[in-house]
Amino acid sequence: MRKRIIIRITLIVVLILIGIFLYTIGKEHKVLIDNKDITVGEIAYSADTTYNVWVDNQEIGLLEKGERKVAMVAGVSHKIVVEEIKDKVLTGEKHGKRFKLKTNESATVNIPAMINNANEWIDKTN
Amino acid sequence: MKEKIQNIIENFGLPRIIIFLFLVLLFILTPFVGVRFDTSINDVIVRFGMNGILVLSLVPMVKSGCGLNFGLQLGIIAGLLGAVISIEMETIGFAGFFTAVGIAIFFAVVFGFLYGLLLNKTKGDEMVVATYVGFSSVSFMCIMWLMLPFKSPNMIWAYGGSGLRTTINTKGYWFHILTDFFQINIGSHIVFPTGTILFFALLTFLVWAFFRTKMGTAMTAVGSNTDYAKSCGVNVNKMRIISVVLSTVIAAIGIIVFEESFGFIQLYMAPLYMAFPAIAALLLGGASVGKASIKNVIIGAFLFQGILSMTPSVINNIIKSDMSEAIRIIVSNGMIVYALTRIMRVR
Amino acid sequence: MMKKQSLTKTMNPGVHFLINYAVPIIFTILIAFAIPLSGLSGEYFIRELMIRLSRDSFLILALLIPVMAGMGMNFGIVLGAMAGEIGLIFITDWRIIGLSGMLLAMLISTPIAILLGYFAGIVLNRAKGREMVTGFMLAFFMNGIYQLVVLYGMGNIIPISDSSILLPRGYGIRNAISLLGIRQVLDKLIPLEIGGILIPVASLLVIATLCVFIIWFRKTKLGQVIRTVGQDNDIARTLGIDVGRTRILSIVISTVLACYGQIIFLQNIGTMNTYNSHEQVGVFAIAALLVGGASVSKATIPNVFVGVILFHTMFVVSPRAGKELIGQAQLGEYFRIFVSYGVIAFSLALYAWRKRIEKENERKKAMAFKRGILVK
Repeated sequence: MRKRIIIRITLIVVLILIGIFLYTIGKEHKVLIDNKDITVGEIAYSADTTYNVWVDNQEIGLLEKGERKVAMVAGVSHKIVVEEIKDKVLTGEKHGKRFKLKTNESATVNIPAMINNANEWIDKTN
Repeated sequence: MKEKIQNIIENFGLPRIIIFLFLVLLFILTPFVGVRFDTSINDVIVRFGMNGILVLSLVPMVKSGCGLNFGLQLGIIAGLLGAVISIEMETIGFAGFFTAVGIAIFFAVVFGFLYGLLLNKTKGDEMVVATYVGFSSVSFMCIMWLMLPFKSPNMIWAYGGSGLRTTINTKGYWFHILTDFFQINIGSHIVFPTGTILFFALLTFLVWAFFRTKMGTAMTAVGSNTDYAKSCGVNVNKMRIISVVLSTVIAAIGIIVFEESFGFIQLYMAPLYMAFPAIAALLLGGASVGKASIKNVIIGAFLFQGILSMTPSVINNIIKSDMSEAIRIIVSNGMIVYALTRIMRVR
Repeated sequence: MMKKQSLTKTMNPGVHFLINYAVPIIFTILIAFAIPLSGLSGEYFIRELMIRLSRDSFLILALLIPVMAGMGMNFGIVLGAMAGEIGLIFITDWRIIGLSGMLLAMLISTPIAILLGYFAGIVLNRAKGREMVTGFMLAFFMNGIYQLVVLYGMGNIIPISDSSILLPRGYGIRNAISLLGIRQVLDKLIPLEIGGILIPVASLLVIATLCVFIIWFRKTKLGQVIRTVGQDNDIARTLGIDVGRTRILSIVISTVLACYGQIIFLQNIGTMNTYNSHEQVGVFAIAALLVGGASVSKATIPNVFVGVILFHTMFVVSPRAGKELIGQAQLGEYFRIFVSYGVIAFSLALYAWRKRIEKENERKKAMAFKRGILVK
């Protein structure tokens, strides 16, 4: 009798854990991507050129100077990759960064800051 | 004293008592929520007259042991045919009404007979077969409404379409023909639909009288104790068919009265679920799958229509939102489920 | 003295077959006429069939276990469908997408489905012999409760954070919710394309797994118990089986399966009609099963698939055939509905008639035996 109760409780706990797991890796997050001028602390970064953007292997498209686009992603770990395009030609320069998002977070990524490895290239909000 | 209360509860069933008390509560609340008490009562009476005959139609079949008439739609269709044809024939007033009734009775007898034959072949499972026969016939008639050669401009689709419209107005034909008959006006807010109520009383009396005749008693015997009836020489199958025809005919008349009061003939899918409110009303009045009486009809129809008309007006004023549909579904279907589960138990 | 033997037993086996499978046979004939009439291409058919097989089969499979338990066609699957929809509402509100979303919906609606199934089981136990009508009315009743919860409770007592799925008045879920986040997530999980037709491999695998599960289940101890209960309650009782509990269990299993089936169904469609999606689930699933040759007392896995193919072909074909035949596509709509209800009415009537005849013959045999006449 006791064994049954223990098994049942364990089962329920396992299911709840699975539920939390599914919730976390399935949660949709909004990631805004800016190709805009930004001032971080004392340094100003400017958006010079167009970039082709990928988030988690999903092609977001071309971001011109001053443009902002939205990517909807699911889960915790993400990767953003940008490819430089100068004067309508692929220069071959690629930059990539990884970032994590907690369950209720959404983020804004700034490309100029990101390319220059500034610390505040990504801004996360709840 | 406590035993007496317990007895009453067991006899009537807890849900019925709850619903009755609920209705009383609603009535008491009316003045406090800005709803006029007299218009409420009026509404209930009008709806009672409108729906009463349909509830009445269920009685013969219950008494003969055919169960609750989930195939009420067949009678309704007969009535619809009568109504539509009478309008096609441009008959108005009382002549129109009685033409409709006459034609409806004709169809009802035919349908009822066939339906009765089917039920005799499926004894024991009548209710579920009836439900689907009812549904299929409504859908079948949908096809018919589209195809039958009706010409009256008041009924067919405008702009040269073919087939009947979904709702047809009875105004100008026999709308309110009974309701306005010897209409009694009490005060400025109550309009008593004398004609309708009188007609209902007439039919009720006829049914009551029928069950006091030899045939009526035989029918009741068939329902309550088949073997005994057989040993008395009663032709069980014949009685059942007669009861089905009777039920179908009364239902046909009932829907015409409904239309007379409501003002519209509703075709196509409208009759699909019409059996349920009638059945719920009968059960609410104290009937069961095997037993029904005139008393059940009157009490049940009144209670049911009371809930149906009072709940929206009172509750909506309190909660400021329209829950009436959901409540109606819960009450009417809940009653039927309750009645179906009253008799047998699996241990 | 002449002995009248069972109508269905001594007749020509050919006729016996015809009567038993009357429904699918009539259907096949009907369809054979309607397909050329509708003018639709073979490729269209195959594509539609593939979609419907992968989408609808799970739900229909959920009907099998109650039949095994002798409870007839379980209209309670509508309750399972409602549970699934509640799960979907939540994951849409929480914005969980992809396969995780679908699985999470299944996870959280399971306890709801179990609860509803348990309730349905108790109600049906008190309506022995009338399970189908009661189940039918119960589904309607639950719909009222569902409306109370979803149309009034959600956004009110039940917190919903995403206001885009709520009605303008601030509470109550909208009539249609987009399930874009999980759209076709199972279907496209393992993509396979043959001749331009997309084959939803993962969905079909899931269905195959369920079939295997049902076959295995039949052989387990519990499966045997359920079948015994289905054969004869009294014998089961003398064997010490708790008949009531077994019946409830079979309904619970069926309800949970229906819950998953509805989620799979909606995942394929991609939108949920909050208040309508589950209404016709019962009727169509049961009609399909009956068209496949099942009866109130016997339903097998082949019945499910034959049924899906026949019934859904009819579904696809009727509007067009109606248009060609009489010039109104609307007619085809009504024809479709008529056939669905008609099939059930016909099957049930046929079954009830056969049942009665067998009972009559049993009675006659018993009486003849009593009179001391040897019965062959």
